[in-house]
Amino acid sequence: MAWTWFHRLASPPHVYRVAGRLTPWLAWPAALLIVAGLIGGLWLAPPDYQQGDGYRIIYVHAPSAWMSLFVYTTMAVAAGIGLIWRMKVAHAVAAASAPVGASFTFAALVTGSLWGKPMWGTYWQWDPRLTSELILLFLYLGYMGLRSAFDDVQRADRASAVLAVVGVVNVPIIHYSVVWWNSLHQPPSLMYLGKPTMPPSMYVPLLLMLLGFTLFYGAVLFVRLRGEVLSRERTASWIREAVRP
Amino acid sequence: MNDSGAMSAPLRPALGSKSDPGGPAVSALAAARLVLARDLKLAFRKRSQLVQPLAFFAIVTTLFPLGVSPELTVLRPLAPGVVWAAALLASLLALELLFRDDAQDGTLEQYALSGRSLTWLLAAKTAAHWLLTGLPLALMAPLAGVALGAPGRAMAGIVVSVAVGTVALSLIGSIGAALTLGIRRSGALLSLLTLPLDIPVLIFGARATELAIGGEAYGVPLRLLGALAVLGLTLAPLAAAAAVRINLE
Amino acid sequence: MAFLDMGGYWPYVWPAYAVTFTVIALNIIWARRLLKRSRKEALRRLTIGGTDK
Repeated sequence: MAWTWFHRLASPPHVYRVAGRLTPWLAWPAALLIVAGLIGGLWLAPPDYQQGDGYRIIYVHAPSAWMSLFVYTTMAVAAGIGLIWRMKVAHAVAAASAPVGASFTFAALVTGSLWGKPMWGTYWQWDPRLTSELILLFLYLGYMGLRSAFDDVQRADRASAVLAVVGVVNVPIIHYSVVWWNSLHQPPSLMYLGKPTMPPSMYVPLLLMLLGFTLFYGAVLFVRLRGEVLSRERTASWIREAVRP
Repeated sequence: MNDSGAMSAPLRPALGSKSDPGGPAVSALAAARLVLARDLKLAFRKRSQLVQPLAFFAIVTTLFPLGVSPELTVLRPLAPGVVWAAALLASLLALELLFRDDAQDGTLEQYALSGRSLTWLLAAKTAAHWLLTGLPLALMAPLAGVALGAPGRAMAGIVVSVAVGTVALSLIGSIGAALTLGIRRSGALLSLLTLPLDIPVLIFGARATELAIGGEAYGVPLRLLGALAVLGLTLAPLAAAAAVRINLE
Repeated sequence: MAFLDMGGYWPYVWPAYAVTFTVIALNIIWARRLLKRSRKEALRRLTIGGTDK
């Protein structure tokens, strides 16, 4: 009995319908939050006492970096659920997440190096955070590469799911090994603001941006998910209703 | 399916049969030992394939003096990184062959159907891969070390760290090899999947080698390498077995 | 003008924002294109093999 909601959740027509209905409820708040965060971050927040206006990159860098990890974790959890319960929809979530995560990982790398130029004097430092981010990008590329190597969606789903689960076990190990490695070779770099207490006018826009980006991921995920669910479905009965022009 | 005697006949003596009354004729461990012995025997029939990764390792380490400088004082600080990057690539080169022949001639499918634990059988195959590439690489690494200006007292440290590190490399690689089993020309993809996961091994391994060359105690990074190898030992064969099953379906 | 100058940090701040918002825009475009393509593909399958189950 208790499992009926689970099966309903897993049924493709239900997912297709609900995802379509929920998309605007995520997309519009995301847009509002991001615009509010932009106004707060670019106009209202005061300049940092050390980094001047240069620190304002944090309002796009930190949310991108957060997305890169959050999306990877979501992807791996969905992939694990798909493997264990053989749930098509969970695999579709994982497949829909990868390009989103990869693109924000790329954004985090570029914004990080643009921030690095005024702070370090060079665009690239082998800073532990940036290095981990670069490795994460390779993990995403490997996942997407493996998916695209299979013609059969079912097999691509399951093989890439194994990789995602193996990857997520490794992410913390990679991160700590990189931090350890970095601490041997150069003094720890100060990427984020050094002050222990940020005034609310500085951190509230950051929180708005973090929440806005997360909701944005939800909205994009739902649109992509509908596409992924459709391409996995060969039964005509509900598709006929769903895609009637 | 296991009862169609003709199909699995050649394997019966090796792996026992599921339909034997009174349970499996051969325990999981014994079956794994048989697979290991078989893989070693097959490998020694194709000696050129055995030598290739080692030759590759030697060539890569030769490239650095030619590309950077013949001065040993310049090369010495680079030695740990060069030895490890070369070992990583050589181990990767051999990975492509880890499951390929067995997948093509159906042996892997027989393993999956044999009723023995596929995890154990793949662990045995991975052990064979390490014995055939990791161990020789570890024994060859001092040669590269000397060529790059490492002092004689560092040799024990280099051998031990490469030996332990390649255990982890073989295990991590077995997952990638299993995932790309059904893909033609999988070399580039296999490296893209495997190398990011190998990074902790590279970091701890190169650090242990660096300390050994500097004449310092290298116990800490060596223990971290050992931890990676143990973690790989417990998880990698499971993941590889899952991946092989997916690709055989 | 002082706002656009970003205290002299404009060559770093504005490209960072531009890259991030390009990524956001691309995500929207790619997601919509994926959905549109899958719908078209599903329709095509329906019209070709209308009777297959």
